[in-house]
Amino acid sequence: MKALKKAAVITLSASLAMGLTACSSGGTSRDGKTHLTFQIWDVAQRDGMQKICDAYTAKNPDVVIEVQVTSWSEYWTKLEAAAISNQMPDIFWMHTNEILKYADYGKLADLTELYDDESKTYYADHFSETSLGNIQGSNGRYYGVPKDKDTVCLVYNKEMFDAAGVAYPDENWTWDDLIEASQKVYDATGKYGYMAYGDDQLGYWNFVYQKGGCILTEDKERGGFDQPATIDAMKFYIGLQDYDWCPDQNYFAETSPGTAFFSEQGSMFLEGNWNLLAEMNNYPDMIGKWDVAVLPKCPDPVSGDGRATISNGLCYSTSATGKNLEIVKDVLKFFGSEEGQRIQGESGAAIPAYEGLEQTWVKVFEQFDYVLDVQKCVDMFDYAVQSVNNADRPVWKTQVTDALLKIYSDTYTIDEGLKVIQEAINTAGDDD
Amino acid sequence: MANTKTSMASKHAREESMWGYIMVAPTIIGLIVLNLYPFLNTLVLSFSKTKPFGLYELRGIQNYVKMFQSPEFWRANWNTIYFCILTVPIGIFLALAVAVMLNAKIKGRTAFRAIFFLPMVVAPAAVAMVWKWMFNTEYGIINTLLAHKVNWVTDPNVIMITCAIIAIWSAIGYDAVLLLAGLQNISKSYYEAASLDGATKWQQFRMITLPMVSPTLFVVLIMRLMSSIKVYDLIYMMVEESNPALTSAQSLMYLFYRESFVTGNRGFGSAVVIWTVALIGLVTVVQFWGQKKWVNYEV
Repeated sequence: MKALKKAAVITLSASLAMGLTACSSGGTSRDGKTHLTFQIWDVAQRDGMQKICDAYTAKNPDVVIEVQVTSWSEYWTKLEAAAISNQMPDIFWMHTNEILKYADYGKLADLTELYDDESKTYYADHFSETSLGNIQGSNGRYYGVPKDKDTVCLVYNKEMFDAAGVAYPDENWTWDDLIEASQKVYDATGKYGYMAYGDDQLGYWNFVYQKGGCILTEDKERGGFDQPATIDAMKFYIGLQDYDWCPDQNYFAETSPGTAFFSEQGSMFLEGNWNLLAEMNNYPDMIGKWDVAVLPKCPDPVSGDGRATISNGLCYSTSATGKNLEIVKDVLKFFGSEEGQRIQGESGAAIPAYEGLEQTWVKVFEQFDYVLDVQKCVDMFDYAVQSVNNADRPVWKTQVTDALLKIYSDTYTIDEGLKVIQEAINTAGDDD
Repeated sequence: MANTKTSMASKHAREESMWGYIMVAPTIIGLIVLNLYPFLNTLVLSFSKTKPFGLYELRGIQNYVKMFQSPEFWRANWNTIYFCILTVPIGIFLALAVAVMLNAKIKGRTAFRAIFFLPMVVAPAAVAMVWKWMFNTEYGIINTLLAHKVNWVTDPNVIMITCAIIAIWSAIGYDAVLLLAGLQNISKSYYEAASLDGATKWQQFRMITLPMVSPTLFVVLIMRLMSSIKVYDLIYMMVEESNPALTSAQSLMYLFYRESFVTGNRGFGSAVVIWTVALIGLVTVVQFWGQKKWVNYEV
């Protein structure tokens, strides 16, 4: 009896203990190799990432890298939980939305000196200022190796332009041309013109910077929604939905501009260059019917020349307390090298952050019968503006979205709404 | 002699209770680890200012003060109550109607039972996706049939009704099956006696069926009300961040989700959860008190 009881207790506690330890993972395993995990959120880039890893492991056979994909919606919840329990993946993508939070709380390894044995100025030599802005913590140190860079471009339907007898958008296009072309397309075909929806990066941010306004001030401490240029640009952008040729926000809540565009309901929308390849693959029937142009410029900017596009970029990061930090650093070094970046570009995953390799990505589009003019996306880097971000962005982001929706649904006037937005950004960092 | 006997007996009793504890241990440990511990944590967080990566500082009732001052919060309360008003009475009425019909001797009764129960088997996310397509303003089948453009998903005055329709549709089968079980426990002899006395069908329903099924009805009511107060997944799937009707559809749990996981303000989110727990507790207490007036436990 006693023995039986003992056995029961042991079994019980053993099963509990097993449950607790089942989650922990080891670095070096039985085969004597170092196993690393690499977490990303974009399934379309899995193959590209795998190719880079393969190139590294071919040279370093004692390292095995496993690429894991987690959807964007779960990625950050999961990564934060992993950070709390000190179980972060060995390598992971970092986004400008989140990097300040992770860097400022000491979760990311400082990679500022990663390339010091090669060159003290490696980062500055090979990456743009915008790219480097995207990998910095609030203290100015580097917490990632630049991965890619992107721009926002104007996508248009050639058939609808032809039907309306309107010339295709070019670099001389202004906001006025955008309105005129939209009206003509709508009159001629009954299809929507430019589809202006309530998005930041793929919407009003671009217009605000073209006008010479800003979303955040230079020091990133305050909002720019009290500046006349920003207010004018917002009024222009939000006002676009009042035209007959632009659907209202209700429409966009159910049908994204991309869906509307590729089901041939509208003639123009703003798209990130990172989606273009997938759209070529996903809509084979549309190939040849659409193309890419630079963003139209503001005809009467308060400052600047009226041109701007929002440019964001991801980076590869690692945990500050990782078990295999030295090996991981070596892998990251390779990811940021010309070779690693070239493989990324050639796989079509994204435009490499490494300067001078932009053409590797452009060439990927030559595989299709109709070659998109994606060079336009690259051209825009000359006047690209770094994607808007500060440490309190997660706090004010939802408040800004809410206020914007209230403007669209006429709960607020534009002036009231912009004041609420300005207030939300300014007070987001207040420690109460 | 007597002494040894009692000590033997008590030893036996001790052994007995020891085994009892071991047997319930898995459940109890599960409850503590999965329910009690997180609940206490939430309680602590609701009194704290939270920072990223699980860090927090105790700050007293600050979150609650902020919560009670927030118009969003009161709006979410109203939205939740409105959702309950829309779903619970109609939902239970329809479920009862379905149960009574399925209890009657009709052809293909088993098939109908299965059909009505089906929505319960489908994942809520899939349900919401399909309905969302059907309710689509431009291309949805419902507007096509109505030949009228109703903004089912984006009109702030309509969105809750849309959600309620889906919620009722999803829950009706489950509730009906529970009620059906209750109906089948009613002895046939009551009905025979009633019809001999010349009672109409309606009188039979009101005087026999309703009182006899009331205990099951009570359970269904409590469950339906609780899950309506906790509504989240349906609204999350139906209403995206870019929807102008968002503030009109934001339930308490949706507010909690946005505060905790989108904005990263877990302290405030926890306060919303604790408030919701209190609300459910209050509603349930009122129901248990109210049941004395209408639930019949005598057979």
